[in-house]
Amino acid sequence: MAVSKRSKRFEVLENRPVHKDGFIGEWIDVGLIAMGSPNDPKPSIRIEGDKVVEMDGRRREEFSMIEQFVADYAINVKNAPEAMAKSELEIARMLVDVNVPRGECIRVMTALTPAKIARVMDSLNIVEIMMAMQKMRCRQTPGNQCHITNVKDHPVLLAADAAEGALRGFIEMETTVGIVRYGAFNALALLVGGQTGRRGTLTQDALEEAFELEVGMRGLTSYAETVSVYGTESVFVDGDDTPWSKSFLASAYASRGLKMRFTSGTGSEVQMGAAEGKSMLYLEVLCIMVTKGAGVQGLQNGSISCIGVPGAVPSGLRAIACENLVTMCLDLEVASGNDQTFSHSDQRRTARTIPQLFPGTDLIFSGYAAEPNYDNMFAGSNWDIDDMDDFLSIQRDFKVDGGLRPVSEEDVIAIRNKAARALQAVFAELGFPPITDEEVELATYAHGTKDVGDRNIPEDLKATERLMKEGITGVDVAKALAKRGFRDIAESIILMMRQRVAGDYLQTSAWIDSDGAVYSAVNDPNTYAGPGTGYKMSDGRWNEIKSIPWAVRAEDV
Amino acid sequence: MAQINEQLIADVVRQVLKGVNGGTQPAAASGSGISAADYPLGMKRKDLLKSPRGIPFEELTLENIESGKVTFDDFRISPEVLKMQGEIATSAGRSQIALNLGRAGELTKVPDARILEIYNSLRPHRSTKDELLSIAEELEKKFGASVCANFVRESADVYQRRKLLKGDLPSAE
Amino acid sequence: MQINTELLEKIVAEVLAEIGGGSSGASVATAAPEEVAGVKLTETGKAARGTDPKEVVLAISPAFATTFKKTITGIPLADVLRQVFAGVEEEGLHVRVIRVYHTADVAFMSHLGARLSGSGIGIGILSRGTSIIHQRDLNPLSNLELFPQAPVIDLPAFRAIGKNAAKYAKGESPNPVPTKNDPMARPRYQGLAALLHNKEASFIDRSKAPQELSVTFE
Repeated sequence: MAVSKRSKRFEVLENRPVHKDGFIGEWIDVGLIAMGSPNDPKPSIRIEGDKVVEMDGRRREEFSMIEQFVADYAINVKNAPEAMAKSELEIARMLVDVNVPRGECIRVMTALTPAKIARVMDSLNIVEIMMAMQKMRCRQTPGNQCHITNVKDHPVLLAADAAEGALRGFIEMETTVGIVRYGAFNALALLVGGQTGRRGTLTQDALEEAFELEVGMRGLTSYAETVSVYGTESVFVDGDDTPWSKSFLASAYASRGLKMRFTSGTGSEVQMGAAEGKSMLYLEVLCIMVTKGAGVQGLQNGSISCIGVPGAVPSGLRAIACENLVTMCLDLEVASGNDQTFSHSDQRRTARTIPQLFPGTDLIFSGYAAEPNYDNMFAGSNWDIDDMDDFLSIQRDFKVDGGLRPVSEEDVIAIRNKAARALQAVFAELGFPPITDEEVELATYAHGTKDVGDRNIPEDLKATERLMKEGITGVDVAKALAKRGFRDIAESIILMMRQRVAGDYLQTSAWIDSDGAVYSAVNDPNTYAGPGTGYKMSDGRWNEIKSIPWAVRAEDV
Repeated sequence: MAQINEQLIADVVRQVLKGVNGGTQPAAASGSGISAADYPLGMKRKDLLKSPRGIPFEELTLENIESGKVTFDDFRISPEVLKMQGEIATSAGRSQIALNLGRAGELTKVPDARILEIYNSLRPHRSTKDELLSIAEELEKKFGASVCANFVRESADVYQRRKLLKGDLPSAE
Repeated sequence: MQINTELLEKIVAEVLAEIGGGSSGASVATAAPEEVAGVKLTETGKAARGTDPKEVVLAISPAFATTFKKTITGIPLADVLRQVFAGVEEEGLHVRVIRVYHTADVAFMSHLGARLSGSGIGIGILSRGTSIIHQRDLNPLSNLELFPQAPVIDLPAFRAIGKNAAKYAKGESPNPVPTKNDPMARPRYQGLAALLHNKEASFIDRSKAPQELSVTFE
């Protein structure tokens, strides 16, 4: 369709950032379609006794391992005949109707088959999805999670960034590595930095499943999230797991008093070339139901690392909002994505976040890059530290609680410095390669790894090996901190260790306040039932959000 | 951050119980009588919490670590507490969580290293059916973990039907 | 960084033909493998477990250097092979190449390579460029070094991957190949990568064992 003489407007448009994004057309046969594929099964259920003998047109003896697990563990068989008899439209309207209580919606949604749930979602437009999210999320108070990573796996910088992130209001933080064998140091840096920034911060180390469990058992992390599930049998197997192994892993975490959630997201199956022609959302519904059936309290979804795929096809971002909503509708905690770069366009980046930010979710981001994106080892988040003041402005513009708060430069410098010194002390006490005063100073004032030096990586890696081999635990870290004068941080680590004795944060959507109190869907349940109900921002919180330091105040003019 | 109104919560919990229990499995009738009203245990029912060898929750402090009275092994959840948390989950309408915490309660007795090994054995193409069945036997006989044992037996059947056992992969060496 | 437009156009054309013709991917999969310029790969039988401690096994994906001739950014796959060979050889070791048919998952490919390798060290490379250095006794989804972002792996990086793999095989602890991170690679390439991977996946044969390859550079 080339024209001989170019329109100057089209030339300008072609050079806009959005044109760097990879858009692709639907390819239905392989499942490159966001939702509502003609290949998705037709909803059906047949129950004999208390067993599902047919689901979505397939007989029990033909079930994949995923279908069998979902049919046996994730569908409320008693309510299913009544729920399945309702039309998709009727159920979709229940979700949006403020007069239908959340509990009633849960009762119906937990008794549907995967294909039926996918169709209910396809009956909703994006504003209705947001309406439903406001009512259906489990916990009343919204929260936020960040990534703490850097391209050098520089432990001092990690500790400083973790402290700043906690101070800014992130209730959870997640790290991963450039070099796998640095994993144990990353966990240690987040533990120390996170507790320095705010007592009660939950931290995790996104690595191979067995390693994650081990550092969790040691008390170097307090929860796990990167426990992936998939929507087709072959991809699940390529992920080296089954619903049974993953459920066993979930029970293993709980047996050590550790919080955990699963991870999934639209696009992963087709990204791995094995979507079996099904739509991305239909396969994601299966993942959400596997999570439900495993008895795991929550799920991270919203496409996550595959967002380039749904982000490239029509209705993809709507499908992503749907996955978050389905998770809420099955009464699960949701850590709702927004955690990966997907566009060069600032407009698309912002629009992608609105469906989670405005209604509020348990963790709006999972997570926000609390470092510059060049240091984000999840390959970049949708928002990074350089976008922070934009985020704070948007909270203020719309009076919406995105979980973060304005902070002063002075406070940030002080907390970063304290975390870096605390890690220096731990390294010295445990005999790890020394952290110099210069490294502390550089990490305190750094923007990212561009501003810090290089560590001796082989020496650090030998030390991480030793850390794992010698079985160093959270208690050892607390002792080291106390001995070197960081008693308050040591106390915070012990407070986190005590959580695993009480187990309160095993309940749905739990986070930990600075005094050690746990808030979850059990004691802070979502009560939204129309205007004037549900989460209400306190005056104190609103004043905090209002007070961005760069706003001109009348009294100063 | 959270705005918690005790009265509101009590109302909501009652509402939730009414709304949800009609549908899901009925709340566990047996047990310690713990419910959502006792939550969080770490604030409201510290009296019920202790380390596996019996050190009270309140004594799990930094001072006691320094004096050597408390060690890392004291920071472990007990099967009793997992059961209580399961009852809380059930009373809030979340029966699957209670099931998971039930399995977890059984696994508290299994050593860390063995848990990791069993997890790896449950991964696809790792075990023969007999190997899985003997793990189930071990869980049942050695650790009294009968729920977990049946779960592993179920996996053995599924893996056999779906060709996920060791040797089912044609290109394995 | 530039997109491999030639490959993209070819694949889009094939996809359109498939959609139009209503046929499945299988028909493409059975098409005769084409040769890629610069290297000759000949299958010599089922891949076996090696005993030579001086070898590193390189596992390549089902359509590597047949249907796919270039990585996602247009680097010729013959050059990729040449650099990996050079990297290993400058450490005094040698490469044995196998083609994996039953999976196009780079973690399992590289782990299989490591298990078949006499030194216990394997490398896996997908047609689009994604690579892993793996070791026999690690879990499949763990690794020694992972290069997940195909668009940022250039030829010097492929050489360095070969060199480091050889060093691990010699029992050394090398400095890992410097990690590159381009946060904007995903928005640009992921949709395309999905397209490419679905194409490569159409060549998977779950019942076919990995094959030994003899490699001649031209």
